[in-house]
Amino acid sequence: MQGLRLIGQFVRASAQEETAYRLNFWISLLQAFLELGAGVLAVYILFSQVENIHGWTFSGTLALLGVYLTAQGLRSLFIGPSLESLAGMDGEVWSGRLDFTLLKPVPIQFLASVRKWRLFSFFDLLLGLGVIGAAIWQMGTEVTLERLLMFALAMLAGTTILYAILLAFSAFVFWSPAVLFTWVFDAVMQMARYPVGLYPGWLRMVLTWVIPVGLITTVPAEAVTGTLGWGMLALVMVAAIVLVIGASLLFRIAVKRYASASS
Amino acid sequence: MNSRGAWALIRGTWLSWMQYRSFFFLLAFGWMISPLVYMFVWATAAGSQSIGGLTRAGFIAYYLVLILVNQLTYSQTNWTVGDMIREGRMNQLLLRPLHPIFDAFAQEIAGKVVYLALDVPVVMILALILKPDLNPHPEQIPAFILALLMAWLLRFFWGYALALLAFWATRASALLPIQDTLIFLLAGQVAPVMLLPGPVKTLAVLLPFRYMVGFPVEILTGQLDASGITLGLAIQAGWLAAALVLSGVTWIQGVKRYSAVGG
Repeated sequence: MQGLRLIGQFVRASAQEETAYRLNFWISLLQAFLELGAGVLAVYILFSQVENIHGWTFSGTLALLGVYLTAQGLRSLFIGPSLESLAGMDGEVWSGRLDFTLLKPVPIQFLASVRKWRLFSFFDLLLGLGVIGAAIWQMGTEVTLERLLMFALAMLAGTTILYAILLAFSAFVFWSPAVLFTWVFDAVMQMARYPVGLYPGWLRMVLTWVIPVGLITTVPAEAVTGTLGWGMLALVMVAAIVLVIGASLLFRIAVKRYASASS
Repeated sequence: MNSRGAWALIRGTWLSWMQYRSFFFLLAFGWMISPLVYMFVWATAAGSQSIGGLTRAGFIAYYLVLILVNQLTYSQTNWTVGDMIREGRMNQLLLRPLHPIFDAFAQEIAGKVVYLALDVPVVMILALILKPDLNPHPEQIPAFILALLMAWLLRFFWGYALALLAFWATRASALLPIQDTLIFLLAGQVAPVMLLPGPVKTLAVLLPFRYMVGFPVEILTGQLDASGITLGLAIQAGWLAAALVLSGVTWIQGVKRYSAVGG
């Protein structure tokens, strides 16, 4: 398949680019462990004071942190770096370099979503999965095949929602190229570090329906703790499909607005 | 000292920053989110009882004050000074008949005004909705103001010394995530310092980070008795003196090493 072969090429090119900066590897390693340590400690500090918040225990919230780290790892593996080259003052939309991207004989959305890889994030991913594993071990419950399947589906739906939101934010870049959409998204994504159930009602609504970052982490974590039903999971999967179709349409409309940069 | 020149510098910097206020408002919005997450989480955890003497309304008051204090003391010198050294723009400043630290001060004050133009209204609206419980003793106010002033100076000179490391290593900014994590854990953001578990709490009391953000907030929200305030102010003054010496030494040593990049 041509698509897969292209992705292979992009991965190789990104790997060559990355290995040129070896010091960055150690800095990234340090940052990954810092992020992990601070996250675990934050959950530990909270649950050293209370045992149970709205049904969430230490191990459940730890599982959610693992899902959060895994989702962020997936994001920074390719979705984030690829889409981010559109935005900002030195981005392709502002500078007009998108001309060259548009001219390539590949669908623009595909190219814009997979062209840049940050291979180090495989490590972030592994750390996240490790935290989920530790949380399951903490719970001491048996892992059934059904729950594993539910978790995998929930994770898939969550990642799809994450991609859809990022794609929609990238589409907004075509309307105002200088706005720091990544910064805004990063800020909102912070909210997904804790279950949506821990927020007041109005905020829970926003995080579920308006900018559904809450679903990205809460639903897979509920699959781990065993509180997720098949009905809810089906609903979230439908939502993920609707969101990704909607974001793709928005992105297509946005690209049509592109009028290059004067030169 | 050339005070007219310094004043003109502050005014000029402020006016030029106000031009890009939407950019700075977005930055300030991002800095607000993390304390807000922990405010909601702790407020929910407290529910109708109290944790370590803090009720739901007490946590809200603590974090709303923390948002303002964090923004007031936030040190941006790594971008305003560090980037200047990295890119060789320090040359112009060294030629002026004014110590370059005044330029950093000017940017600092200009930034504070722009950020607060967003933060104060947002915090006031949140206070109206969430009804915090804040009734400081009149005798705590002078201690709060003194602690806030020292917190700002401490964070500024600490950040200045850190930024000056750019004289030696261009990747010195990689230290920032470490500092941010320490501030997140030890300065009262993840939880008020008194709620931290044993050894972490001892660390928080001894290291300088609590005295950059959390300490003034603790005074205003009445978490400290008279002896706690006195001890805190003494440690804070000690760290401030250390930061002053540190930034002075790094400046003198660094400027000797400086050879401008670019032209």
